Amino acid sequence: MDWDRLQLSPKIISALGRAKLTSVREVICLSGPDLQRVTNLSRSDIQQLLTAAATACRRHHPIPALHTRDNWESGLRVGVGCPVLDELLRGGLPVGAITELSGESGAGKTQLAMQFCLSVQYPTQYRGLGSGAVYICTEDSFPIRRLQQLIREQSHLRSDVPQELIHSLQFSDQVYIEHAADLDSLHMCLSRRVPLLLAQGLVRLLVLDSVAALFRSEFKADDWLERNKQLLAFSSTLHHLSQEFTTPVLCINQVTDVFNSGDNSLGPLSCPVSPALGLAWANRVMMRLMMRRLQVTVARGDQSSVLRRLEIIFAPHLPRDGQDIAVWREGVRGIGGAPLAQTHDLGFNNK
Amino acid sequence: MMQRPMCSLPLSPAVKVKLVSAGFQFTADLIHLNPDQLSGEAGLSREEAEDVLQAAGTGGPLSASVSALELLQKEEETRSIVTFCSLLDSVLGGGLPVGRTAEICGVPGVGKTQLCLQLAVDVQVPACFGGVGGQVIYIDTEGSFLLQRVVDVATAAVRHCSLLVEDDDQRAAMMTFTVEIILSNIFLVRSRDYVELLAELHLLPDFLSDHPGVRLLVIDSVAFPFRQIDNLSQRTRLLHSLAQQLAAMANTHNVAVVTTNHMTTRLRGGLSQLVPALGESWGHASSLRLLLQWSGSQRLATILKSPGHVETSVPYQINSDGFRDADQSEQPPSKRARTLPDQSAASQSDACC
Repeated sequence: MDWDRLQLSPKIISALGRAKLTSVREVICLSGPDLQRVTNLSRSDIQQLLTAAATACRRHHPIPALHTRDNWESGLRVGVGCPVLDELLRGGLPVGAITELSGESGAGKTQLAMQFCLSVQYPTQYRGLGSGAVYICTEDSFPIRRLQQLIREQSHLRSDVPQELIHSLQFSDQVYIEHAADLDSLHMCLSRRVPLLLAQGLVRLLVLDSVAALFRSEFKADDWLERNKQLLAFSSTLHHLSQEFTTPVLCINQVTDVFNSGDNSLGPLSCPVSPALGLAWANRVMMRLMMRRLQVTVARGDQSSVLRRLEIIFAPHLPRDGQDIAVWREGVRGIGGAPLAQTHDLGFNNK
Repeated sequence: MMQRPMCSLPLSPAVKVKLVSAGFQFTADLIHLNPDQLSGEAGLSREEAEDVLQAAGTGGPLSASVSALELLQKEEETRSIVTFCSLLDSVLGGGLPVGRTAEICGVPGVGKTQLCLQLAVDVQVPACFGGVGGQVIYIDTEGSFLLQRVVDVATAAVRHCSLLVEDDDQRAAMMTFTVEIILSNIFLVRSRDYVELLAELHLLPDFLSDHPGVRLLVIDSVAFPFRQIDNLSQRTRLLHSLAQQLAAMANTHNVAVVTTNHMTTRLRGGLSQLVPALGESWGHASSLRLLLQWSGSQRLATILKSPGHVETSVPYQINSDGFRDADQSEQPPSKRARTLPDQSAASQSDACC
């Protein structure tokens, strides 16, 4: 650390050298009396040192929230590409925080995640971020055929966007797919390749499908302390990436059965499952969404889809709410209007 | 206090050795000395001598003691920040006291951030409406300060107050109680880790002196950055000095300090239970501890620790306007109508496609 940068008196700088303090972070983590003991400096010198170190650590003065409306990108969202769902999510995925999407297998989580990988590529006026996405698979291989189908059908899904614009976007070139089979390779991916992609501006969405797989398979039941420690470090990395690059992070999670149905202290759950990985993970998530399959099939033209429900479990800016959705050839769409108003359309024919 | 041994003062060892070898054993020995005399007698530099006298508390007039009656009067003068949930306000004795520290604990999604945002708006309610009319410093460590939501809460608070206008004073006050002005009175800081948070807190006293109108400091949350520290003894030490800093700031600058904390699972006798995170000793850090929790589909606020109140629980809800009293009707809060007319219209048109 170059202490000269802080404009301190030579006396303080030489005392810091003698005390073997090398970084501003070390100084901040010591209390005034401790600093006085290790450096032998006077109280006023210590005050001067602490103020200089603290000023070097902070990135900006407190700013009125009003100014953040224009200057900051905190209001940016990645839309779903369906007006009903964008309305439900008040614009889409927020930047700078972790969003979790959980549900049983077959609920449509990967479908929705892939859709975000395409919608992020639109310019901001169409609720995109004008950049690509990185998709980290830890469970299955990436459903590349389905992605190509979604790309072909984009003009059908996005009737709000001019056709020329849709055709000018090179969708499949901008989805970077990574596979991580264990925690070590996931760590490598998140600490090396992903920051590089983000720093180069090639991507502005990070999808992890799924978080649960690695943490559930690599630790035994009695390893939970070690698991929680790893989980904390991992979620800090994700959070740091999302803040550093003002990027949305979408984590897909599995669900577990709630075996103690009497214990509802974590929230009122309408279904007998809850997201995996427990409280240690939940505390790090800003927005929690859940998808589940309903026992109905809806039909539209020659297509049919199992009805699903997307629910907001919590988010600081959203009320607890939900929306029935269907997965069509062109992607995931909300079924608007009163729920099941079109009951007469419902056929129980399988997909 | 005057018989405090010299070696217990927060001074560098070299200075203490000089003082003791010059015959100064207790702080009482320093009375009536000025810095020049002390530096001559003990062989200290003038600067060191000033430090010694300041540390011993003999440099200037001693801080005057305050009688209990004066304290009571002061406490009656201090205003409280209303929460907009009348049941919670009444068990808190009018709201959240200014000049004290408070902690809000709860599981994710129960409404900790919602209460913080609500308080950040409520502290600005003008005095003629029974408010505090103050400004806010909001330290966001989780990234959960979303302007969209603050605008919702502020809009509802402005609407609420405009319906209460009765006299000219209040009409005039409403001119300066608009959503724009509310947003400009919230000073936002985003800290990405505990070092940035500690650095900010170190600089905050100067900011508070420059902005005497600040009546509320929010840190949402303390748990998020501090739980990343692996070394438990370092964490405890840093949290301890954080608690001292916050208490001092609350008192000297007359601000309410509100922090939030996560919950964690603890196994006790084979039973797992939810307890606030950051350990036992952090529990003593704030003078008021509020636990937000679920009971079925009902949200409950429980006062866990408070000097003036017994442990009580009151129901509340989070609706589109913010933190409010629970609905008295039979309707469960989670089913509250959010379907605005335009939204259902939009949904219907989409159903046709």
